[in-house]
Amino acid sequence: MAMRIVWHECQKAFKSPILIGLLLLFTAFNVFVIVDNSYFKEELKIANQLVEKYGRKITDESLLQFEKDLQDDLTALKEITGQEYQSVYDFLETLTFEDQNRYSEQEWRFIEQLQLKEMYFSMANDIDASYAKIDIQKVAEGTIAQSRLSGNAEKTLLREYEKFSQRFEEMKQNGEHKEWFFAGKAYFMHSFLFKTVFLHIVIESLMLIILSTALITNYEFENRTQLVTYGTTRGRRLMKDKLGASVAMAALLTTFILVATLSTYFIVYDYSNVWGTSINSAFNWEYNFPNIAWWNLSIGQFLSGTIAIVFITMLLYSGLTFTLTTFVKNSYIAAILMATFFVLALLIPGFMPTSSNLLFITSYSLSLLVLNTASSFMGSSGLIMFKNFEWMTTVCWTMITFVLCIFSLKWFHKKDIQ
Amino acid sequence: MILVKDISKQYGDFTALENINLEFTNGLYGLLAPNGAGKTTLIKMLATLIAPSKGEILYNGKNIVAMDEDYRSLLGYLPQQFGFYKNYTPKQYLLYLAALKGIGKKEALDKIDDLLEKVALREVTNKKMKKFSGGMIQRVGIAQSLLNDPKILILDEPTAGLDPKERARFRHLLTELARERLVIVSTHIVSDVETIANEIIMIKNRQLLYKDSVERICATLDGHVYETTIPYEQLETYRRQFVLLSEKQERGSMVIRFIHKGEAEANWLPLAPQLEDVFLYEYRDDIGEEV
Repeated sequence: MAMRIVWHECQKAFKSPILIGLLLLFTAFNVFVIVDNSYFKEELKIANQLVEKYGRKITDESLLQFEKDLQDDLTALKEITGQEYQSVYDFLETLTFEDQNRYSEQEWRFIEQLQLKEMYFSMANDIDASYAKIDIQKVAEGTIAQSRLSGNAEKTLLREYEKFSQRFEEMKQNGEHKEWFFAGKAYFMHSFLFKTVFLHIVIESLMLIILSTALITNYEFENRTQLVTYGTTRGRRLMKDKLGASVAMAALLTTFILVATLSTYFIVYDYSNVWGTSINSAFNWEYNFPNIAWWNLSIGQFLSGTIAIVFITMLLYSGLTFTLTTFVKNSYIAAILMATFFVLALLIPGFMPTSSNLLFITSYSLSLLVLNTASSFMGSSGLIMFKNFEWMTTVCWTMITFVLCIFSLKWFHKKDIQ
Repeated sequence: MILVKDISKQYGDFTALENINLEFTNGLYGLLAPNGAGKTTLIKMLATLIAPSKGEILYNGKNIVAMDEDYRSLLGYLPQQFGFYKNYTPKQYLLYLAALKGIGKKEALDKIDDLLEKVALREVTNKKMKKFSGGMIQRVGIAQSLLNDPKILILDEPTAGLDPKERARFRHLLTELARERLVIVSTHIVSDVETIANEIIMIKNRQLLYKDSVERICATLDGHVYETTIPYEQLETYRRQFVLLSEKQERGSMVIRFIHKGEAEANWLPLAPQLEDVFLYEYRDDIGEEV
């Protein structure tokens, strides 16, 4: 019977034109953002081809083979151009505007491919040198200076960076960074997927979940049916069903947005051969510091982990909205208060003393967790670089949400219904 | 059997009900009082929607709050303002409420057909309720209160929005229902319960005033209700001196019905008191020192 009631409660959200309209609008917007950025999608195929031809791991042997193949390609370039070049870039430098019409479309495709291959080859050759320059101690000092940390906060961060330094060495020894992936500095695919696309997913899911939870929880009071519904056999236990329905709707809405958005993403961008590549790949290095996770995670595992974080966080937000809506009887005010809570959680660490560990403790918030998906599980993520950040935040907030939900249910159980 | 034991309800400094003691067995009870007298507060306590500040309500010796679902499974309740989902059809809404009452879907579907027939809404079973009149909505409300075939039926102002024909039909339905269950009808319209209630409960100044049969309540005014014809000019004097129950114009004069507890005048015609007379007398506004 309880399942039937939960289903009835879910139907209330399904029948909300605002909710359905927003869901479709958000999905369409995400598809647009992904497709609009796809002008380079053909170039990404090179990374897949490299994995197919030389294996996922970059070894001395595979690089040697790659170099030989590049020489063959340069010979082929000579046949096309009639001139010998040490690199396709030499050819491109001497190229004039008029020369462009001298070559067929197929020849140009070959030249472009060769250019990309040379780029990947050059990057692969530079990996050791680039990583040798990295000094984690200096990175720690830089972060501490930038954030003006002192006292306990400084000590805590230094301790964590010490652990991270060991992990960095271990990562290098494992050769996790020597695996083929899309060139980060050229395409920024990690940031695009885990920052831009996931940011859309998170914000949109959050809006829909807050609205649907508030709608389900407050439905009786807003339709003035509370005396009828809470006077039935089920009585105030209906609130439990409403919590179940809110969480089920949160799961459904998040799943819909995740599936629609990520399916589009992976249809547009070919990841077929790089799923197994480590997230710590040197090719995934986009900005000043490479992405280095605390664990050796493949792209597929990192994506699964990120999806899990987003999914769990959304369910927790549904629980928190439920608690708030039990006390605030207006759905729109509840939605505004939840949005304020979300933003406040981001701002609070900024008000903490930079000498205290409170700075880090207040950073363990759902807002920071879910807005930093690109840096999840990473040791290279500034003040939230802690190894336990993800699981600790999730577990703590699960407990907080659980306690708050129980408290609000108990409170409602004793409340007079007017 | 329901036993209301010394209950009071307070909202901050405001006392809505004070030391109410009542006993209900099978049959129809009319809870009669003007708006704001505390009827709805009492009814909501009987429906476990609000908790008494003091005292308790027992069903067969058990506290109804402690009985929780077991008590409410016996209860059919129509609140004063029956809320509904505008975009639902009566069938969808009743199916939802049936689920809340723990009734299986198949059983509910049969029951809903029967009840909608009973309240003459069969033809609009699948029409959205946003297009319904007040009377139609109220009939959906009555149907929902009967979904679980309740042993205790509590109806708060059930005739609001019903036209005279629907009221008559509803009274018949109530009489039929009260044969085998406890029915409590709260109303401020005397005619709703006067002819059908086994007992009338009246609340005044937050306390119980009467709980008795219509005859015995009317007997409290035996020999005090009169009718007389007066010139229009004297009407104001009578209004000041007596509790006027009704006034009507007849051939240029006024025929008035009133209460007087002293010596009667010669031209006053004594009448048998009606429940409406008691109601008007007990809940009269300040009308002077007479009576």
